This record gives sequence, C-alpha cells and structure tokens, in this order.
Amino acid sequence: MLKILDFFDYAKSESPWMVHFCSGCCSLEMAAAMGPRYDWERYGYIPTPTPRQADVLIITGLVSKKILPALLRTFAQMPEPSYVLAIGACAYDGGPYNDSVAVIKNATEILPADAFVAGCPPKPEAIITGLEMIKEKIRKGEPSAASQGGLWKQMKF
Amino acid sequence: MEKLKELIGTFDVAYVENYKKVWIKAKLNKASDLLGVAQALKDEGLKSLVTVSPTDFPEENKFEMNYFFEDLLTRRNAWIKVDIPRELDRCEIDSLTPMFPGANWHEREAYSVFGVKFTGHPELEYFLISQDYYGKFPFRKGFDWKAHEANLIENMNTIFESFENEHVENEKRIGHAGSRTMLNWGPTHPASGPIRLKVEVDGEDIISVKPDIGYVWRALEHLVEEKDFIGALVALERICFMDNTNSMLCYAQAVEEIAGKEITPFAAMMRVVLGEIGRIVSHLMGMGGFFNNMGLMTLFMWALDVREYFLDVLEDYSGARIATASIEPGGVRYPLDVNLLDTLEKAIQKYEDTRTEFYTIFLKNPTMKMRAAKTGIITAEEVESFALCGIVARASGVKTDIRLDEPYAAYDKIDMDYMTAENGSAMNRFEVLFKEMDQSMSILKQAIADLRRGIESGEYDPQKDHMVKIPKKLPAGEAISRVEWSRGELMIHLVTQDTIPPEDQSAKRQPYHDGRAPA
Repeated sequence: MLKILDFFDYAKSESPWMVHFCSGCCSLEMAAAMGPRYDWERYGYIPTPTPRQADVLIITGLVSKKILPALLRTFAQMPEPSYVLAIGACAYDGGPYNDSVAVIKNATEILPADAFVAGCPPKPEAIITGLEMIKEKIRKGEPSAASQGGLWKQMKF
Repeated sequence: MEKLKELIGTFDVAYVENYKKVWIKAKLNKASDLLGVAQALKDEGLKSLVTVSPTDFPEENKFEMNYFFEDLLTRRNAWIKVDIPRELDRCEIDSLTPMFPGANWHEREAYSVFGVKFTGHPELEYFLISQDYYGKFPFRKGFDWKAHEANLIENMNTIFESFENEHVENEKRIGHAGSRTMLNWGPTHPASGPIRLKVEVDGEDIISVKPDIGYVWRALEHLVEEKDFIGALVALERICFMDNTNSMLCYAQAVEEIAGKEITPFAAMMRVVLGEIGRIVSHLMGMGGFFNNMGLMTLFMWALDVREYFLDVLEDYSGARIATASIEPGGVRYPLDVNLLDTLEKAIQKYEDTRTEFYTIFLKNPTMKMRAAKTGIITAEEVESFALCGIVARASGVKTDIRLDEPYAAYDKIDMDYMTAENGSAMNRFEVLFKEMDQSMSILKQAIADLRRGIESGEYDPQKDHMVKIPKKLPAGEAISRVEWSRGELMIHLVTQDTIPPEDQSAKRQPYHDGRAPA
C-alpha cells in the first residue's frame, strides 16, 4: 500500500500544474521560462487558468495591497496539497520597493512559501530550479508550508 | 507657436514663454481663468489634455497644478500652471473632464493622492490607490506613511471589507432575477494585465464595463522622492519591466535638463540602441499576447524565442536580462564592447529569418482578420479627445511619435517615418506593432552603422564617451521630458528643490490611455 502511495506522490511531482496568476513584474521571466529557450514543459510544468486544477501557486514578485485578497482567494481555492513558490526579491521583503510603504513587504510571512528564488527578477533557470525544489517536496509527501501556518489564516479575504 | 503665445497672453498670466521647441509654458494668476484658457486652447486645436499633475509646496502653502495640452496634428504643446491653496477644504479647481474626456482618470488620481477637488467632475471617486488610503491623500507632504503602515492587518481588513461591500452592493443592485450578473474580468486574467474590468452582463450581452486599476500600485513617485537621482533609477525602470530602458531614458533626460548637462553623441546613439531594444522586446510580447488571447500559443512561443536573442544583447551589455539599469543621467552606464554590435546583428538576423513566417502565417491570417478587423475600433477623433498615444493612436491614422515630434537622444540622425494604419481596429493595432518592429530593426541598423563608423574614425571613444559627470547635488529646477516608449508616450515631470534628493516628482505614464485592446 505504501508503495502505491509513493507512486502517486511521484506521479504528482512529475506534473505540477501552476495557476496562472501574475501579481508582479517577475511574471515576465516566468513567461520566458515558459518559452522555447527554457521550456519548462520539459519538466512537466504547465500553467492552468483555473486554481481548481492547480498544484502550485507562484507569487511572482511584487504583491500590492490591492491584489493580496485575490492572491489569497486563489490559493484557498486550490485543492490540497497546494504549494507556493515565491520568486523575486519583492516576495521576500519588498525588494526594490522595501522603502515604499504601499506594497506588501512580507508576502511570504502572510502566505509561507515552500521555496524561494532570489533575484530581481530571477533568471528563468533559477525559477525552474525553484520548481524542482517543490517537486522534491511533493515526492517526499511533505505538507506545504502554507498549510502549516502563516498570517493568511488570520486574515479575512 | 507665436499665435498660441498671444492667445494665452490675453489672459491674466504671470508669464508666458517658449519652452523647448514645441512648448509654450505659462502660469495663470487666477485659477478661475482655467476653464477659459482651456476652451481657447481647444478652439485653437489643442484638443488633447495629456495629463494633470499637481505639485505640493508646503512651505508656500500651495499646490501648483500643471496641465499639459497637446495638438496631435500640428504638434504644438502648451503647459499651463496655476496655483491653488493647499488646505484640504479649500483646494478646489474647475474640472476639465467635461471639456477633455481624457482628463477624467488623471483628475481622479490627483484627487485620490493629493485631495485636490475638481468641481464639476462627473464621478470624482477614489481611484488607483488601495482602499486603506482612501481619504488620507498619501502624496501630500507630511503624510506619515510609517504610522499608517504600522497596522498592516487592520489596513488589509479595510481592503477586504471594501471588496466584500462592493460585492454585497452589486448583489443588491442587480438582484438574482434573470441572467444578470456581475463578472470580474481580471485582475489576474492572463490577458488582462493588472486591470480589473467590472463587467455587468445579462446573459451574453454586456450592459456596462467599469475598469478598476491600481493592482500594481507601488507609489513610485513617493519612492523617487526619498532617493537621490541614481537610486531613483531602480524605481523608474520598474514602471514597466516590458520596456524598461525607455523609462530610464525619460528620467535621465529630465535630470540632465535640470543639471544643464549635455550628453556625448556616442551616449546619445547608445540610448537609441538600448531604447529600440527595449521597444522590440516589449513589442514581441505584445504581438505574442495578441494571438495568445485569441487562443493560439504559437506566435507567443515564436516571439519569445526571438525576444531571447535581444535579451542576450541586454545581458551582454549590462549583466541583466531585464533589470538593466543601463541608462542613467549623464549618458549610459557601461562602456561599449564592440563585440556587442555583433550580438545585436545576430539578433536582428534572427528576427529577419522569422519575419516572413510571422507575416505570412499571422498577419495575413484570415481568422485573425475576421475576428479583429472590426473589433475595438477607435476613431481619430476619439484619439484626440482621450489623448491616446503610441500604437493605439497611430493605428487610427494619427501621426504622432515623440521620436519624430520632439527628437531626443540621437533620433534626429535617424531616418524614420510615422508607422500608421487606417481604421483603428484591433487588427490595425497588430499591423502597426508589426510595422514598428521592422522600423526598429532599420533604426538599429542605422545606429550600428553610425557607431561602427564613429568608432573607426575615432569620433567616438566607446571606453570613455559613455558618461559625463552629473553633480550629485541638483540645482532647484523643473523639467518635463517625453519619450516614445513601446506602450505610448511617457512623460515625466520632475521638480527639484535645493536638497540632494529630488524633492518632488510626479512621473506620469499614460497607462490609462494605451492598452492594446485585443480581439
């Protein structure tokens, strides 16, 4: 029995679908990772327009205050287990907008990420590496970070 | 131009003078004259109000309102200033929206961030800023951002509640009868970009559409105020990452104008190269996105492939693919390695190899023609009254292009023309995108030839000429700078005072006025 479940985890890990949610500028490099040169479909990733079918949510850099409710709702609509990949400096601490006070600077504190890719914006190779880290997590059957905690559970959205 | 000057001079003005080649700058003594001046300018042919931008002067207890009028046909511009009091209950001015529909969103923005009330505005509601700033007017000097931000959860709850209230109100208003409902298109629809369209539908019929923006609002103007002019570049180039070089170029020009420095001809030509690469990578995304929204991924993939080659050039030059920080006040940041021109030629070659396929498969695509040729038609009159710019304006046959109207960098040395189409439909916009790609390639070739010739003859020194020094401390001054970037016209109005960081800055792009209305 255990082995069959392992197999399911393996199968899941080899085709993580990500919800097509672009909140900030790093989505440009996400598009490049989708493109022919980097081609993330080689690794089994595919964007899907609806959160109901998705396994991974990518926080693409900047999260403005106005988009946060939409982001959290999208995440809440994803079936378990749902993972979060944060890319770009903004997702960690506001990045270049750290001095600005009109953006969410602790996006990953609100919605904890399973992997974080640094850069402004990170290169497509790096984004794919980040997704590989998530694959590893899925393969081991580990629960996602966001299901374990985070400020998002205290927020109304 | 002289006629324009005389016309404005008939009103009660503090001064009226020529500014650059295509501008008349004037300051009115009385705010009550504004409507009269605007009407006179409109009758004279300046039918577009490009933007409205207040500047805050707390020491003098006033707001200085700046209005930028433009005549797209004869390329005459007027910059009208007028002072209004700063107190919240007294800062009022007549709205120009009934006369110039294009002023609508600019006035709403000025109201939201500065609290300037526009009397006579048809729907003066808060706009752009996130809901927790409603009624707080954050761009006024002295607004305590840090104190506001201290209670994040509370602020976020305000935002959540406002969305919730909106939903409840809609439910009440529309009811459950029939098939009427409110549809939110965006803000994260793959085709929408950061805009939300509140579409009220009855079955398949659209009853009304109300746009809502601000989903990537970062208060960049405030960020720029906090930094010196080099630090500001970081914020400036992130106005839009698609074409980041041109926004830096625009800002650099404004700083140079205030500092009173000229850049070298070599740096000017390098700016043309970088600017055009920025335009190309953005246009390729635009072209790809057009078909992507129609449900055909192929062009998107092909466009991304070509785009990579141009990003290679940027990477070779600056070390970064997108966040290049390559243009700064005084010139361009890095010296030129001549091998870069080979990389660039390779990229151009890549485009030209793919071009025929783009053209035959996509531009002459009968499905695209059927779906797009009659969609989203914008007439030339609408372009004028809403002050549209860039590709949208040119697709409607309006000849406007800042590179030609008010040449900057080294565009005066380049042989180019307006790329226009006739009907202003979605298909025409795609056509213009495509034509501009070809145009950019031709500009790049001319620039490469010029650079090679200059370097060979010793006229340019690629190792030293790229930069002239700009003093860290800028004198007090004011400048506006315009560039043609890939998404239309970018105008930056920069005001500096006698402190090291630019004291006030209002960077205005025209996100509302462009938008590639897909099929």
